[in-house]
Amino acid sequence: MNLARVAAVIEKEAKEIIRDPITVATALLMPLVMLFLFGYAISLDVEDVAMGVLDQDRTPASRELADRFVRSGYFRLAASYGTAREVEMALQRNAVKIALVVPPGFQDRLAGNEIAPVQLLVDGTYSATANLVAAYAETIVSQYRGDTAPYVGVEARVWYNPSLRSVTYVIPGLFGVILLAFPPLLTALAIAREKETGSIQQIFASPITASEFLAGKLMPYVLIAFVQIVMVIVVGFLWFDVPLRGSLGLLLAAGLLYVFCTVGIGLLVSTVTQSQLAAMLLALIITLMPSFLFSGFLFPIFTMPYFLQLYTRLFPARYFVDFSRGLVLKGAGIPELWPSVALLLLYTLAVFALAVWRFKKKVA
Amino acid sequence: MVLAQGSSVIEAEGLGRRYADNWAVQDVDLRINKGEIFGLVGPDGSGKTTLLQLLAAILDPSSGRCRVLGYDTLRQASEVTSRIGYMAQGFTLYERLTVAENLAFSAKSRGVSSSLFASRREKLLAMAGLGSFLDRREGVLSGGMRKKLALCTNLVHEPPLLLLDEPGLGVDPLSRRELWRMLEAFGAGGTTIVLATSYMDEAERCDRVAFLDGGRIIAMGTPDELRAGVDGAVFSVRSNAPAAVEAALGGARNVLSLQWRPEEIHFVVDPSLGMPDELRVELGRTGRVEATVPSMDDVFVARSRSNDKEVLAKPVVLSGPLSGGGRDVPEQSVETRELSRRFESFIAVDHVSLDIGSGEIFGLLGANGAGKTTLIRMLCGLLPPTGGSARVAGVEVTRQPRFLRRRIGYMSQRFSLYPDLSVGENMAFFASAYGLRGRERRDAVDRTADLTGLQGLADDSVATLSGAVRQRLGLACSLLHHPAVLFLDEPTSGVDPLARFRFWRLIGGLAGAGTTVIVTTHNLEEAAYCDRLGLMHEGRLIALGDLSSLRAGLSGLAANTIEDVFLAYVEHSDEGAVAGGEAR
Repeated sequence: MNLARVAAVIEKEAKEIIRDPITVATALLMPLVMLFLFGYAISLDVEDVAMGVLDQDRTPASRELADRFVRSGYFRLAASYGTAREVEMALQRNAVKIALVVPPGFQDRLAGNEIAPVQLLVDGTYSATANLVAAYAETIVSQYRGDTAPYVGVEARVWYNPSLRSVTYVIPGLFGVILLAFPPLLTALAIAREKETGSIQQIFASPITASEFLAGKLMPYVLIAFVQIVMVIVVGFLWFDVPLRGSLGLLLAAGLLYVFCTVGIGLLVSTVTQSQLAAMLLALIITLMPSFLFSGFLFPIFTMPYFLQLYTRLFPARYFVDFSRGLVLKGAGIPELWPSVALLLLYTLAVFALAVWRFKKKVA
Repeated sequence: MVLAQGSSVIEAEGLGRRYADNWAVQDVDLRINKGEIFGLVGPDGSGKTTLLQLLAAILDPSSGRCRVLGYDTLRQASEVTSRIGYMAQGFTLYERLTVAENLAFSAKSRGVSSSLFASRREKLLAMAGLGSFLDRREGVLSGGMRKKLALCTNLVHEPPLLLLDEPGLGVDPLSRRELWRMLEAFGAGGTTIVLATSYMDEAERCDRVAFLDGGRIIAMGTPDELRAGVDGAVFSVRSNAPAAVEAALGGARNVLSLQWRPEEIHFVVDPSLGMPDELRVELGRTGRVEATVPSMDDVFVARSRSNDKEVLAKPVVLSGPLSGGGRDVPEQSVETRELSRRFESFIAVDHVSLDIGSGEIFGLLGANGAGKTTLIRMLCGLLPPTGGSARVAGVEVTRQPRFLRRRIGYMSQRFSLYPDLSVGENMAFFASAYGLRGRERRDAVDRTADLTGLQGLADDSVATLSGAVRQRLGLACSLLHHPAVLFLDEPTSGVDPLARFRFWRLIGGLAGAGTTVIVTTHNLEEAAYCDRLGLMHEGRLIALGDLSSLRAGLSGLAANTIEDVFLAYVEHSDEGAVAGGEAR
């Protein structure tokens, strides 16, 4: 490999990128746009759930139970109803997500040390939040009973994300998704564009070798991707207030390895496509879609069927998401996370080998 | 250099390249010697580009072998590519880089030392006349400058072999002349040059020329040898009854091509069969028949075996449905007064006043950027003028552009066709776009297909058509609605001579039927087909008239070819401009 020729390609490519304001703007703004959109949009937290009450007991005890829901901070009293029919209508038209039904004789039964049944009606159309809502509500009800009757105490402690804020685990996962979405796209277009204009023929008919050309093409895009990484990490920690428990240096180093990998995927895409349009579509299909579905970013991998779990291993986002969550949330380091890094490294080497092997200095 | 003195720079034996079942190049045996300028000519799709790519070692052969500069192009491809210069078709530099940066990239990628590069750069820039545009981005240069720069980037390492794919395509005559000056200077210095071209004047300048057809070399030799091969096959007829000549030639078997020129009809017969006696007798009755010295164009026509005769076999309708397009049109088809267009500080068209009569073929000549396309776009109502007025087909262009569009046809430089649609679908779409419906539309499509020789191709996908057929389709699409005035913007750019002659026959037929034709061209030889010419330079119309009066206007100057006439007027106008500037 002749470094002077690699440097010539890097210089040429860098100048072309800088003089294309749309590319630069896309490269720098889109990751932030995506970070903010997803940081705010993806929330599985339960807060301020609209609640309806059908109090058929109308005693201090029943009012105290309803009050405890509101005081918990998770629920907000949206309406009180007089009949079961009204409750049903309210759930039907989405006015409330949960309804508490206190039957007559609630206070009397409590006083008589009897079991006092209450009914909770939960809107299960969003099953994930419905589970949470039901669980919170049950806790409140059982603690209320606990005031008057002794019970076996469970004290659950949530580790790594004690406040159970979803943004805390969404953001470290988003790093993996964003860096698989944009860098490959830019890189894939870069070589496809030269194929479209025909300038690549001048490269073919020159002493520049395939690996020199790919290396020179790669560097400016790795640099851009690294700027993107730093940007999303800084904004993620400062704006969204995500705690960083592991080493920032290690996160950046692994991030650099990861962008080599994702930019390499872009190169690989561009070696097999002839036009910018085809390159863009292929890049989107093999990077953006799987990075959402199969990285574990939103949908946990351990709940997937076994063959799909194997399939997720085809995409590098999963390794980086594992790494990033482990480092950011658990404060883990190399001793715990080395398998992810090793797999990422192997993956990167394979992508480059494939790209160099596929890229021939031939027009057909 | 591993080459021994006097040995060949290129040696190909049985060289071939196949794409699927299709041989793009086949059985090519070729020896090209050091210092030769070697031309590759042939119709569209004859394999010129593929052959050049094989020679450049950027395409692997499917059969045979080839040694370039002593290296095998298959096994030692990198030895070949690191030594040669190769200029692909079209514009293949980096348009966001400046002139200087493009040159520097080329030098660095070829390991030219910086001291050597500095001196070579000065020399090349001076030769190309690009010295004052160093910091200009490549993308904003004119076509001619871009091609010259591309040539420079391929010369910084002073390659022993230069492979050029249609270097003159889309380049104005002035720039083309400069390109050739550079080529000949390097050729004289011992550089071997192989170029593909569709310009026969370029072929004429080569030491040797190979004719390709269907991927095979069908004739090879010096231009003189090639011309001698078709001696006695080229004739011209001067007659007062062109329709009779047309009928006689159209019916004859051996006639390969005929060209309408204002004062004569020029035709080529099959050289192996010669002129049939009965044709000679028949033509003798209509006018004076003379054998003519063959040009390279004639050689091309005679040698092209994949001669599809469908256009030729059918006499162009001289009167008929199309003459309906001429109704209600005043005597003057185009009238402009002080027509101008400026883009910010740049004046693209500068006070052009022009009258063009109906049925006239009017040629607009000029370098890239002289304002031809801008002028035509204004006359078509596509671009509002910033000064002056223009009437086209009796319609004021600024007042009623929608009405105007129904009376004119416009064929742009890149025929705007839909490549994924078939020929028939394209025509049906354009007919609908002009408001033709149902039966009327079917008739228009059938008649135009007939006229332009596209019958039987209705179901062919445009993507699979050759350049020449696409060009006829482009013309057909602009003719569907019987335009009174037809604008053709460089319609024959990149089209081989035979297809060009056929195209001009069609144009001649249309004009004969009363359609006014306004055409721009870079190919100055085509000026001979025009009734009158307008020469544009820097936005101004610097000369106007038929060819002989333009020649006469240059008293005391020996201007033989049309190119000489053109260049003489340009020089004249430049001097005039300087003098005018001083007077102010």
